[in-house]
Amino acid sequence: MSASSRPVAAPPPLRATTNTSADPGAGDSYIRRAGRSLIYAYHGALRAIKLYPVENAAVQRALQELTTLSKEIIAAESELEIRTSGEFIFVNATRLRLDLDNYASFSHLLSLCRRAGLGAQQIAGTVTSRDWMVFLSALQAAPGAEEPEQRFEMLLAKLDAAGVNAFTLARPAEADEDDKEKAKERAKRTYAQSVAVTKDLMTAVRFGKSPNIKKIKRVVQGIVDQILNEETSLVGLTAIRDYDEYTFTHSVNVCIFSVAIGKRLGLTKLQLYDLGMAALFHDIGKSRVPSEVLNKVEGLTDDEWKQIAAHPWMGVLSMFQLRGTQDLHYRAMIVAYEHHLKIDLTGYPRPVRDRHMSVFSKIVAVADGFDAATSRRSYQTTPMNPADVMKEMRDNSRRGMDPVLVKAFVNLTGIYPVATLVVLDTFELGLVHASNPIAEMLSRPIVRIVSDDKGNVLFPGYLVDLADRGQDGAFKRTIIKTDQPERYGIRVGDYFI
Amino acid sequence: MTASPVHAPSAGTEGQEAPFAPGPVEELLRLIIKAGRAHQLYLPNNPIYKGAIDTLRAGFTSIWAQVDEISLTFSETGIFWYDHVVLSEPNKSADSLSWIFFKDGVRELSLMKGFEEKEVIALLGILQRARKATPDEDDLLTMLWEADFVYARYRFQDLGMDPAAPVTDSSPKDDVTREQIESATHSAVVETQSSGIVNLSDFDATLYFLDDAEIEYLQGEIGREYAEDLRSRVTSTLLDIFERQTTTPEREEILGILDSMLVTLLATGHFRGVAHLLREVQVTTQRAPDLLPAHKQALMDLPVRLSAPESLAQLLQSLDDAAELPPQSELMELFDQLRPKALGPVFSWLTRMQSSRVRPLLEAAAERLASLNTNELVRLIAAPEREVSLEAIRRAGALKTPAAVQSLSKVLAGPDVELRQMVVHALTEIGSPSALQALERAVEDADREIRISAVRAFTARSYRLVLPRIETAVKGKAIREADLTEKMAFFEAFGSLAGDAGVEYLDAVLNGKGFLGRREDSELRACAAIALGRISTPNAATSLRKASSEKDVVVRNAVNRALRGSTS
Repeated sequence: MSASSRPVAAPPPLRATTNTSADPGAGDSYIRRAGRSLIYAYHGALRAIKLYPVENAAVQRALQELTTLSKEIIAAESELEIRTSGEFIFVNATRLRLDLDNYASFSHLLSLCRRAGLGAQQIAGTVTSRDWMVFLSALQAAPGAEEPEQRFEMLLAKLDAAGVNAFTLARPAEADEDDKEKAKERAKRTYAQSVAVTKDLMTAVRFGKSPNIKKIKRVVQGIVDQILNEETSLVGLTAIRDYDEYTFTHSVNVCIFSVAIGKRLGLTKLQLYDLGMAALFHDIGKSRVPSEVLNKVEGLTDDEWKQIAAHPWMGVLSMFQLRGTQDLHYRAMIVAYEHHLKIDLTGYPRPVRDRHMSVFSKIVAVADGFDAATSRRSYQTTPMNPADVMKEMRDNSRRGMDPVLVKAFVNLTGIYPVATLVVLDTFELGLVHASNPIAEMLSRPIVRIVSDDKGNVLFPGYLVDLADRGQDGAFKRTIIKTDQPERYGIRVGDYFI
Repeated sequence: MTASPVHAPSAGTEGQEAPFAPGPVEELLRLIIKAGRAHQLYLPNNPIYKGAIDTLRAGFTSIWAQVDEISLTFSETGIFWYDHVVLSEPNKSADSLSWIFFKDGVRELSLMKGFEEKEVIALLGILQRARKATPDEDDLLTMLWEADFVYARYRFQDLGMDPAAPVTDSSPKDDVTREQIESATHSAVVETQSSGIVNLSDFDATLYFLDDAEIEYLQGEIGREYAEDLRSRVTSTLLDIFERQTTTPEREEILGILDSMLVTLLATGHFRGVAHLLREVQVTTQRAPDLLPAHKQALMDLPVRLSAPESLAQLLQSLDDAAELPPQSELMELFDQLRPKALGPVFSWLTRMQSSRVRPLLEAAAERLASLNTNELVRLIAAPEREVSLEAIRRAGALKTPAAVQSLSKVLAGPDVELRQMVVHALTEIGSPSALQALERAVEDADREIRISAVRAFTARSYRLVLPRIETAVKGKAIREADLTEKMAFFEAFGSLAGDAGVEYLDAVLNGKGFLGRREDSELRACAAIALGRISTPNAATSLRKASSEKDVVVRNAVNRALRGSTS
C-alpha cells in the first residue's frame, strides 16, 4: 500500500449544481451521478460491515457493488479520488451535491473521515472486495484515545498489515493561518455589508421608499456562498451583540442561521437563497412600528405590545411596497407573516383560514427564537445563555417550534452553541468557537480558552478541541457548566470580531 | 461556479507571458458573439444555430489543446487575455460583449475545460437575458450566480455596495478581577461536580441525528414548499389580515393590494391564483367583521372587474392567442369565478374563439352563467351585438326560460330573420302557454321558414288557440302560392287542431268542384287529404274514401296514405 502523509491540496473550485427540478440528478455530469452512487454504495458497505459478519452475503454483495462501481469510475475517468473538505465530498475533484436524499450517507462518511484524520483516498484500479472490506473495517473501528493524527497513522498501519495497497490516503488539507485570516476577513466583510444593507432596507421601508433589491440579493448570495464554503466564521459573527443595531444585526443573524440550517437539510443553493431572502426580510414589518416603541426600555403597555405583535402582518404589507412582485417576495411575505406562529398555528397573528405552515417559516422561527433570546435588546438587557436557550427550545414543546428542525439546529450549532461561555473541569473558561465537526461529538465543541485556571483573562486566547483525549484515554477538557460571560467580565463579541 | 468580489486575488495573469499567441482566443470571442446572435435569432433545432454552436465548441477545443483554463478580463470597451486585447469594442452598448460584463461589475471570467459542453449554451442564454434586462430585473451578476456553473468562475466588483463600517460589539464590559474570575470558576466546578446530575440529552449526540422518518418528513415539507402556489397563499394571508384588522387605513391598503394583485395575476397568467383570490374575497365579504359599506363594495367589485367586458375580452383574447395554455382545470376554476356581467362577453367570444381547448370551457362557463343568471340572459336577448343576442336566444330556449318570452316576443317583431328563426326555436323549446301565444304571430311571418317552424310547433303541441290564424291562412290566397312543404305544414296543423270541425272545409278542397266544375290544384287537394287523415274521424274517412278513386296520382296517393293512417 502506498500512503502519503502529505496534506491534500486545497479543494478545487466549488462545483455545486443549481438543478432544482424534481429529478435532482437530471442534467448532472457523469462523475456527479457516478459519485453519488459510489457514496451510497460506500455507505451501504459500511453499514453492512457494521451489522453483519464479513462472510454474510449482504456484506459481500455490498462490497462487490462498491468494487464494481469503483472500477467503472476508474475505467471512465482514469482515476478515482474521494476527498473530503469541510462539509463537502469531492469525487475526482467534482463536488457532490448534498441533499436530503443523500444526507445520511454524506454525513456519516464525512464524520468517519474526520474521526480518522483522513482527507483524501485515491483508489487504484486493482481494488478488490477484500481491499474494501479491510479498509472500511479499519475506518470505522471504534476510536480510542488517539488524536486524529495518530488515528490516521493507525489506519495506514492496518492496511499495511493486511497487505492492502489499493488505497493512497492523505490527511486533510490544513488551511494555513493566512487562509483562515482571509476567510475570517471575508466573513466580517459579508457580515458588515449585510448589516448595512439591512439597515438601508428597513430605513427605506420606514420612509416609504423603494430599497435597492439588487443589493439585498447580493448580500444574501454572499451569505449563501459563505455558508456553503466556510460557515464557521460567519456563524461566529452572530455572537456580536450590537445593541444599537439590534434590529438589523438580528435580521442578518436569522438569515445566517436559517441558511446554515437549510444547508444541513440539504437545500440546494437556490433554495438556500430563497430561504435567506425570506429570513432577511422576516422582521421588515418592524419598520412600521414606531421607533420609540421598538426601542422602549421599560415594560410595554398593552397597546405598545399590540403594535409590536403586529409586525408579522405589517411585514406582508410592507413587502408590497417593494418594487416588483416576484416569487421571492411572495415567499418572504409568507415567512414574515408566519414566523411567530407555532406549529399548531397558535402564536400570532392568528390565521383565519386553514393553512399549512411553510417549512421556511418554521426554520426562520427556530433561528429567530434562538437569536432573539440570546441577544441584548432594549427590553432584554440580560440575554439568555445560548446553551440554555437551546435547551429551552429542545425541551419546552410549548415554544411551538418544529422538533425536527430544532434537532437540525442542534446538529448545526452543537449542544453548546457558538459564543456560549463554558466553565471547564480544568477551571478554565472557554467560549464556544464552533461545533465539533465529528458528528458524535456535538457536546464537545471547539472552544476558545479565554481564561486560564488561575482566572487570568486571555486575549485572543487559543482554540482547543474538547474531543481531544489525553494519554489515559480520558477527555482532556469537559464542560462543567455554562454561564453568563458578564459574570466574568468577558465581552463575547471581542473574540469574534 | 465560484464568485469572488474583486478584493479577492485575481487569476493574476497581468504581466505574465501568454502560453500561446492570442489568435485562438480572439477567434473564440468572435465565435461567442456569433453564437450569441444565433441564440437570439434561431430556435435550437435550426441548422444555422447548430452550426454556430458547433463552431464555437470547436473554438474551445483548439484552446483546450493548449491549456485547461482561460481567464478573460473586462474593461468598458475591451476584453483582455493576459496582456493582449482579444476583443475591442469601442461602443458601450447592449451589443458589446465587454460592456455587458463590465457594466454589471464582472471583471474577470475564467472558463475551464468542459464549459463548452452544456454550460456555454446557458451562458449564451444569460447574456441574451442580460442584454434585455430592465433596471428592475436581475443583473448579470445574479444570473451568473444562479446559474452556478461548474466549469466557470468569475470575479466581480459590487458596484452598488458601499464599504460598510465594521461591526462592533457594543455590549457593556464589567470590570471583574482575576481573583473574582478564579473564585467563580472554582465554585462553579465544585458545585457542579458535587451535584452529580447529568442530563443525558446534553451528551448523547445521536439524539440529534435525523432519522429516516424525519428526513422523509422534511423532504415532504420542502417538496410542498415548492409545489404550492405562493400567490394564493399570500392572497389568503392578505384576506386573513383584512378580516382580523378592522382599522380603515390597513383595510384600504389591503384592498389596493388585492386590486393590483388581481391585475398582476391576470397579466402573468396565474389564473388559478385569480380564481382563488375571487373565491376568497367572497368569503371575506360575507364574514369580515365591522365591514364598512365602501369596503364591502370594493371587495364585491373585484370579481365584477374580471367580468367587465373590457377585461374579460383582454383575458379571452390572450387565451385565444396563447401558444401554451394553462391546465384546463385552472381555466375552469377561473371561469367559475365569472359574474353575470361576463355573460355578454362570453357569448360574444363563443363565436370568435379559435382555440379548441378553451372553447369547450367557455361553453361550459356560458351554460353555467346563463342557467344561474336568468335576468342577465333575458337582458342579453335584446343586446345590440347580434351574435350576443343570437346566443342569448338560443340559450333561453335550451334552458326553457319562461321569463325570456317577453323579450323573445319583441325580437320576433323585429327585422332580423335569423334572430326571428332562433326565437321560434326558443319559444318552441320553452313551450309554455305564454311562449306559444307569443309564437302565434309567427304564423303570419314574412319568412317561409319561420312560418313553417311555428306551424309545426303548434301541430306538435296541439296548440288550439292558434287555430283561427291557421284557418285564415289555410283558407287564404297566400297558401295557394306557397310551396308544397308549407302547404303541407299548414294543412296538417289545421287538421290536427280543428278536428272534425275542419272536415267540411277540407272535404270541399279535396272533393269539391268550384266554378265550372274546376277542382283545386293537386297539391292543395293532397294536403287536404293528409289533413283529413290527421283528423281521422268517420266523417274524415268518408271524405277520403270519396276521393279514393281519384285519377290524379298525387291526390290519390295522398288519399290512400291518409286512409291507411286513419284506419290504422
